[in-house]
Amino acid sequence: MSQEIVQVKNLNLAYKNLHAVQNVSFSVKSGEIVAVIGQNGSGKTSSVECIEGLRKPSGGSVSVFGKDPWTCRSEVYKEMGIQLQEAEYPSKIRVEELCRLFASFYERPADWNLLLTQMGLDEKRKRPICKLSGGEKQRLSIILSLMGRPKLLVLDELTTGLDPEVRQNMWVSFENIRKGGTAIIMVSHYLDEVEALADRILYLEKGKQLFFGTQKEFREYVKNRVPQESFSENVSLEKLYLMIAPKTTGLTMEGIL
Amino acid sequence: MKRFAVILKTEMLLFLRDFFGFFFTLVFPVMMLLLFGGIYGNEPVYDGADMGMMDISVPAYSVMIMGVTGLMALPLTLSGYKEKKIYKRFDATPVGKKSIITAQVFVNLIMTLIGISILLIVGMLVYHIQIKGDIFGVFTGILFSAAAMFSMGFLFTAVGRDLKSTSVLCYPFYFVMMFLSGATMPDMLFPDTIKKISDLLPMTYAVDLMQGIFSGDSLSLHGKELIILGSLTAVFTVTGTFLYKNKDWT
Repeated sequence: MSQEIVQVKNLNLAYKNLHAVQNVSFSVKSGEIVAVIGQNGSGKTSSVECIEGLRKPSGGSVSVFGKDPWTCRSEVYKEMGIQLQEAEYPSKIRVEELCRLFASFYERPADWNLLLTQMGLDEKRKRPICKLSGGEKQRLSIILSLMGRPKLLVLDELTTGLDPEVRQNMWVSFENIRKGGTAIIMVSHYLDEVEALADRILYLEKGKQLFFGTQKEFREYVKNRVPQESFSENVSLEKLYLMIAPKTTGLTMEGIL
Repeated sequence: MKRFAVILKTEMLLFLRDFFGFFFTLVFPVMMLLLFGGIYGNEPVYDGADMGMMDISVPAYSVMIMGVTGLMALPLTLSGYKEKKIYKRFDATPVGKKSIITAQVFVNLIMTLIGISILLIVGMLVYHIQIKGDIFGVFTGILFSAAAMFSMGFLFTAVGRDLKSTSVLCYPFYFVMMFLSGATMPDMLFPDTIKKISDLLPMTYAVDLMQGIFSGDSLSLHGKELIILGSLTAVFTVTGTFLYKNKDWT
């Protein structure tokens, strides 16, 4: 039976007057992929940053491998790989130097030469980071998150900036990583990706947890919340999500002309 | 230890790839020495003086190097790393940002010592400069002066919200101190009003200390400079650490 490696109970996070995360509870088992979805500003990144130990929760508890990630950060990071939504590297560092640097952080680092080849970055190893394209930086960032052979991988918008072919390859890669027993928490706006990979979904809106469960349960959740005539069983996860997501209006010509 | 050596080596490479740090720490002071040495030579600073113009310029240029690393290179790197969330990325690894910051302080200290060594070697070879002070005194002088400059830079980074505001603090302080402390031109040339301003600058005490020790003074003759530089280091470090702890690193 899979072991629960992440447990989040009644997580709360406040920034001054903004209550960014309110009473969020979920868990992640080893070998499981949990997707965190929701609109911009719904508290997805804030929630995962509490799991990563980068933010101290205002309330509730977070346990990763049985430890508090805020107080036992360096312990937890030995088994957790992280890809941040927005973080840069020193611009003049070269790809292989950055890989070597990150490899030195871990006792048993991954074979980064092989990862560079698999990610199509082998020819770019001498190139400074500032000369890489957005997609190349993203692929390098994923390599660095795998450097410690993690048992838990937290990926915040992992495929943003990647072209469709590389995205598809990423899905296969993460499926393989999961088969090796690594749990993955992925924050994503791409619901095709979530549909292809996620075992369970955490749906947040305005910092509140609206749903946590399997994809099948999510369909039931949506079905119970939309008028019967507008619901259809065989639609994609993206269409399902759009049925219940808060509506925003697009630009009108009135505002432009 | 091996891990720290890799971090140190990487940060050293990055320092050398940055034109500003490389040029103003290792090249510019030597250019100044050769330029002013070419004009004045190492003639006695006044009739009957036993120290030549270059004898007193080398310790002053050494302080200029400490100013470049302590007040410009280090704080601007720290601030840039914070603004670009590079520290946040390192914080999400087993080593954390403290190892990176420590390596950056070490790299700047090493480059300061290399810069001073190059200056001394060129000074000895070209102008036969004299270092009358003993090695312990010289090292103590470098330690107190560098500590004051580095801690001041650290305070600027802690006060500045981002790279821009840190630059606003670093640039004026660095240039005012470089020109008015005696680091680039002898303070004996300054009118009284400028001398009064000069007395308010920490770098002035570093220049006086280094020049005194290089000319053979014992450390006890420079108690005032040592106390001022030591006290400033303590105040800047404690205040900077307090402000740093309350900074939002995310």
